[in-house]
Amino acid sequence: MKKLAVGVLSVALPLGAMAQAENYVIDPFHTVPYFEVDHLGFATIRGRFAKTTGKFTIDRGAKTGSAEIVIPTATVDTGDPDREGRPRTRDEHLRTPDFFNAAEFPTMMFRSTAVKFAGDNPDVIEGNMTLLGATKPVSLKIERWRCGPDPRTQGKRYQCGGNATGSFKRSDFGMKFGLPNAIGDDVKIWMSFYGFRQ
Amino acid sequence: MQGGVAPFVAALVVALALAPFRLGGLSVLAAFLTCTYFVSGLQVTPLTAMRKLLILAIAAPIVGVLADFAFKPTRVGAVLLASAAAAAALWMLWPVISTKSPKEAWLLSGTAVVSVAFMLGFAQSQLSSDGVRAGAAGLAMGLGVGIAAIFSASAAIGLQGIALGAGAGAYLLPQMIRGKKSFAGATLTLTAVLPAGLLAAAAMVLAQLPWYSVLALAAVPVAARLPVPQRASVWLQALLCSLYGFVVAGVACALAWPTPQ
Repeated sequence: MKKLAVGVLSVALPLGAMAQAENYVIDPFHTVPYFEVDHLGFATIRGRFAKTTGKFTIDRGAKTGSAEIVIPTATVDTGDPDREGRPRTRDEHLRTPDFFNAAEFPTMMFRSTAVKFAGDNPDVIEGNMTLLGATKPVSLKIERWRCGPDPRTQGKRYQCGGNATGSFKRSDFGMKFGLPNAIGDDVKIWMSFYGFRQ
Repeated sequence: MQGGVAPFVAALVVALALAPFRLGGLSVLAAFLTCTYFVSGLQVTPLTAMRKLLILAIAAPIVGVLADFAFKPTRVGAVLLASAAAAAALWMLWPVISTKSPKEAWLLSGTAVVSVAFMLGFAQSQLSSDGVRAGAAGLAMGLGVGIAAIFSASAAIGLQGIALGAGAGAYLLPQMIRGKKSFAGATLTLTAVLPAGLLAAAAMVLAQLPWYSVLALAAVPVAARLPVPQRASVWLQALLCSLYGFVVAGVACALAWPTPQ
């Protein structure tokens, strides 16, 4: 009888752990990736993308998770929307093959390979970023993380939100225009994100 | 520096060294590769449209040299090269064009195919026997594509176009100084005209160069075929043919200047 109980428990426990995995869908209206890069060695240019989509899962019991984030490159916005006598704006330039090549690569993607926890919360998401057809490892540090009922829905919807940061060298992805002096190679990224539990 | 001076110096060395072997047209390849090395690197993976262009720009002179040494220039040969150039343009750009609406896809692919095929076919059949006219066409076309591409938001394509122009200028300069025309042939027309046509098509599909500006650029080789005084010196012929080309290229650049938002 004792052996039977142990056997049942050994089968049931992993199933119970699997049942704790929660699936979330990224809220595109409140998930905004930002970036910053050195400009001419004088100042830092900052920009952002819109309409980010994706999903993530988290299993607090097993301390595992996954994330997938898709960013439309054509939405790049560095606050330069008007030509004002110039042939093109900086954002139009950023969409060309010199940088994001949005016509040929309409999206960039981050897909996790491992999630490390600090206590009960995710701390670092290791993964691969695909940009301009090249896939390279990138890590995102979770700097802020909170889950709970969404007050906008009187608690009917459960959400997780936070901030994540990371960095990469754009030359690793073949984005070499303006190197080495005009536009920096090191790109810092940070992202505010929300996900709704399904 | 990346688009003009360094490519010009590299091209001039190649032009001076290889002109006696009827390979002076390779100076344009030297200019293009020098610029591409500085602007975007010479790697070919992952295989994007611009990296396909790099492969085609390297393959074109090989085909040109083989064509010059193995075959006599004929009209059929020019048609074959023009057809191959059109196929190359589709190979390069179709993955992007195919994502567009049917109407836009027809416009972009039609413009790319017609302009590249016409440029190369005309240059091969009408200019390849005259080093000055072919060089002037390459000079005007390269600079025209380059400036038009910069107006269309891509400085990298612009620099590569200007480098092609610098390479053609380096091919032209020794002829003007010596007063003697160099061999052009398919070695020059393929090396200078094909990449220029493909750059214009790329600026149209991947940046914002208007289709009608691409068609205007395709007329540059025609301008370089306009009459010049038969007994004029080589430098004067080169100057006049280049000026003819610059006028048409200037029109194309003016068409590329965007309308106010």
